[in-house]
Amino acid sequence: MSYVEARPLGARARRRRILRRRFLRRPAAVASLLIVVGAILAAVFAKWVAPYPPEETDFEALLASPSREHLLGTDDLGRDTLSRIIWGARASIQAGFLATVLAMVVAVPIGLIGGYYRGWLDTVIARVTDVLLAFPFLILAVGLAAILGPSLLNATLALGIAAIPPLIRIARGETLALREEDYVRAAVANGANDAVIIGRHILPNMTSTLLVQATLTIPAAIIGEAVLSFLGLGVQPPTPSWGVMLNAAQPYLNDAPSLAVYPGLAIVIVALAFNLLGDGLRDVLDPKTER
Amino acid sequence: MGAFILRKAGAALIVVFLASVLVFVGVRAIPGDPALAYAAEDRDPKVLADIREKYGLNDPLPVQYVRWVGLALQGDLGTDSRGLPVAETIVTRIPLTLELAFLAMLIGTVIGITAGVIAAVRRGKASDYAATTTALLGLSVPHFWLGLLMIIVFAVNLNWLPASGYVPFREDPVENLKHMLMPAIVLGTGLAAVLMRQMRSAMLDSLGADYVRTARAKGLSEWSIVGKHALRNSLITVTTVLGLQLGALISGAVVTEQIFGIAGFGRLTVDSIAQRDYALLQGVVLVVAVGYVVVNLFVDVAYSLINPRIRVAGTSN
Amino acid sequence: MNRIRTRRSRTALVVVALVATGLLATGAGGSVAADSRTGGTLTIGLAEDPDALDPTLARTFVGRMVFLHMCEKLYDLNARLQIVPQLAAALPTLSGDKKTMTIRIRRGVRFNDGTPLNAAAVKTSLDRHRTLSGSARASEISPITAVQVPNNYTVRLRLNARFSPLLAQLADRAGMIMSPKALDQLGTRFASAPVCVGPFKFTSRTAGDRIVLDKSQTYYARSKVKLNRIVFRIITDTSARAANLRSHDINVLDRIASTDLPAIQRDRSLRVLKATSIGYQGISINIGNKNGLGKPFQNVGTPLASRRALRQAFELSLDRKVINRVVFGGTVLPGCLPVPPASPYYDKTIKCPGRDLNRARSLIRSTGMSTPIHVRLMIGTDQVAARLGQVIQSLARPAGFQVDLAPTEFVTALRRQDQGNYEAFAIGWSGRVDPDGNIYQFVHSKGSLNNLGWGTGRMDLLLDNARKAATTSARKTLYKAAFRVLRSELPLIYLWHPVNRHGVTANVKGVRQYGDGLIRAYFAEYR
Repeated sequence: MSYVEARPLGARARRRRILRRRFLRRPAAVASLLIVVGAILAAVFAKWVAPYPPEETDFEALLASPSREHLLGTDDLGRDTLSRIIWGARASIQAGFLATVLAMVVAVPIGLIGGYYRGWLDTVIARVTDVLLAFPFLILAVGLAAILGPSLLNATLALGIAAIPPLIRIARGETLALREEDYVRAAVANGANDAVIIGRHILPNMTSTLLVQATLTIPAAIIGEAVLSFLGLGVQPPTPSWGVMLNAAQPYLNDAPSLAVYPGLAIVIVALAFNLLGDGLRDVLDPKTER
Repeated sequence: MGAFILRKAGAALIVVFLASVLVFVGVRAIPGDPALAYAAEDRDPKVLADIREKYGLNDPLPVQYVRWVGLALQGDLGTDSRGLPVAETIVTRIPLTLELAFLAMLIGTVIGITAGVIAAVRRGKASDYAATTTALLGLSVPHFWLGLLMIIVFAVNLNWLPASGYVPFREDPVENLKHMLMPAIVLGTGLAAVLMRQMRSAMLDSLGADYVRTARAKGLSEWSIVGKHALRNSLITVTTVLGLQLGALISGAVVTEQIFGIAGFGRLTVDSIAQRDYALLQGVVLVVAVGYVVVNLFVDVAYSLINPRIRVAGTSN
Repeated sequence: MNRIRTRRSRTALVVVALVATGLLATGAGGSVAADSRTGGTLTIGLAEDPDALDPTLARTFVGRMVFLHMCEKLYDLNARLQIVPQLAAALPTLSGDKKTMTIRIRRGVRFNDGTPLNAAAVKTSLDRHRTLSGSARASEISPITAVQVPNNYTVRLRLNARFSPLLAQLADRAGMIMSPKALDQLGTRFASAPVCVGPFKFTSRTAGDRIVLDKSQTYYARSKVKLNRIVFRIITDTSARAANLRSHDINVLDRIASTDLPAIQRDRSLRVLKATSIGYQGISINIGNKNGLGKPFQNVGTPLASRRALRQAFELSLDRKVINRVVFGGTVLPGCLPVPPASPYYDKTIKCPGRDLNRARSLIRSTGMSTPIHVRLMIGTDQVAARLGQVIQSLARPAGFQVDLAPTEFVTALRRQDQGNYEAFAIGWSGRVDPDGNIYQFVHSKGSLNNLGWGTGRMDLLLDNARKAATTSARKTLYKAAFRVLRSELPLIYLWHPVNRHGVTANVKGVRQYGDGLIRAYFAEYR
């Protein structure tokens, strides 16, 4: 029956074209998309993009300034900084995406169930989420690292767990709003079962909000991974990660401050790109929340 | 009002109890023989057995738990591996973190609210754009990197501020503030960024509301409208944000204290885990849990005072 | 309108309350105010927080530094690392069979609480070191079976075997004498308010922050003590420590990191006290510790454990000079023996091998094992350890070794070492004056810290005889032979001896450092 669908088929393709045009009209969003794609490609194809292997040392060229051989100079063990930054993108992108996916996979069903069925279950979910929202994630991460040992995987796990409460809140909020929509009420009146309603009406209409939120969760996870690796709780040396590089730069703030500048700059550029992209997507997909 | 507080307090107490059990069990889940933390270089098995005996590490868990809680309620959190009372260590180090958090909140709130108001009032103009971009940067810059950069510029190159350390306020207020300035700024920028965005959108919402249009129609000046109506109603948003950002502030304090060499409570948390000092760790995490619950309680009550209807502005996002 | 006004003033009140609490709280965080600099307070920046300030239980290196200033011992070291009497009146006399040691006690000495030092007090302390549950000193002086007090100023120690290292042990914590009155009052809580004989007495301690000592009014050589107060501040971050020294917020700095050294050396207002440590750093290889410390040995089966040739190849792939230059900026002393060159027991005829990739590769080929050979190296979690691990990785790779790093937190690492749950561990030993203290417990098959799981009858014989031997030259010969065994079997690859550099502000004189690496500022003064 055609009106069980949220919108008729033809309109969907038209809508996508409108969205794309709206997106392309925003230079900031386009630029950030390019940077994000660039970062992902650099991370995936690091082996071919980076001029040197990240662990190759050169004991004759310690703390070298930028030169033709080493565009961004070398670190305290003579390793090429540019290559390590490119390889470091791997840990950051990995942590960013995996943590977000993990959080989504857990948070969306919970938020959906709470918002849809309401009742005591929803109250419990809402209360617990509220309490956990402000929980300092670092304590959780440190505890996890202490029990499971420090590694990129455990850091990603901690980041994912930390991202769950805010996402539950959003999924729940969206579900609460959507279930009041006319077409949902109509479907209920028509006797459609819960799974169909959720699967066909509610979830698809949440995707744009969820997409925006995911895009905004990734930069937080990237920065979180940097913090954890900086503290020694995430990626372990010699595997490069921007946080690890910043940690190693600390004793050299006096003599070679540039060691601390480049990895941080990489974090800022990638995180900023994701944030701008998320903002741009939000503006495009839901113009009435124009900020 | 009284019943409300009582109910909230009761809930808080239950949470604290659960937290204490969790802490106790969680600390023991950390791999590592607790006796070793007290043994440092010497690992003679007989010595370790003696240590276990002395600290009652061989008793069944519930017994150890009850003993611990009983003493904790009297203010005795045991002694750490140095033979120093845990409670004393915690009490000495908390004020540093409190001062840091306080200054960070001050800086963050002042900057965030001012920027948010300006951006909302001058919406669409250059200053709005500038403020919004700065806020975005604030969300994209890892604050510990900012700290490293500030050390390079202000301490190493310009020599205006000390790179690290702490001087108690009572000893030398000026030195204290000089040492705290960079850490507080570093910790406060994240808060400022979030506050600025929330403030701006809350202001925009209320500036567009009917009663404001009425006020404008009545002929009130723009500034009195902004000042009285919009600002006041945005206070709710601010309180909410501050409450939510508390956790981030604590996380941030840990890293900030690490970079700037401040022997505060945040560092104590991480150090006690790293050193497997179980008595210290238990005491520390218990204090964190209790503090967290208490502050939440405080925020809840303050919140209900500001808005007796407990209406949350903007639930869906 | 009224409601809003109340709300605003309520908010204002909250803000004021917060500000007030904030300021009060920070006031409460202030510790004891330091005396003015000219009044004679010396501030020493320590790299770690000492453990319990109880000589019977203490185990940390920095703890020994604090003890030096407030807790004298029967014997001490001089600048040439020779043992000299401190609370004893003279060097001890040994009976003919070397199983009885007689010590005369210095007269006219008072503890910092005014009670007199006599033989009974010495016996109380020595018995406590021997028998207190959890004592860290018991294994250090285990051959002592009885402490006798023939008269008020003489102590006689009865041993169950000849034990040459005993005198050196009495020149460390095992020889520290505590006030019987304080022991009586505090018992196992002695660390909360320790009282000994010392130029300074314990005043207060804040965990993780500072330890305060004040000049003693009862010290027997009061006239030599110029300062009023010594404050030990705990500053674990190396660059923070260095920054504090450069700003003169501290006067003395414990162990300058190699990355901070150039800036300190360039600073005209600072001096550097340098001394090569009596300890060593290297790589311990788990050969036979399969079942845990103290259990029977059983080869663990890893490549390095099963073939001596592979251990030799591994050593030959490393370049001690490069490690020194790249990891430490050239500030340590490369070495391949458990004692440093300054030790009278050092063997000058042994030359440390340089890097020899060809020989390393041929040694590997001779075993028939396929490359890369995997080595799992446990290292610390600090930045220097990370650098060291990565340099070792880089150096060993061309020879055919694949080194995997396992950064492990210190206490956990020690536990894993004891359990035998490791392949190789980059760890060292702070060192003892007597060479026995650097060797016996690690490589004697009955050694209390033998977590290598290695021992041979020949080595055991050499070390046991070295303990019993009476003359230095006899012991030298025995240790020389022991070194040769170590060099060929390589259960431990010794890599370098730390060089302890302490920083001092130029306006302070009289701060010393001997080879044991401890800061000695008890007779220091301002210029």
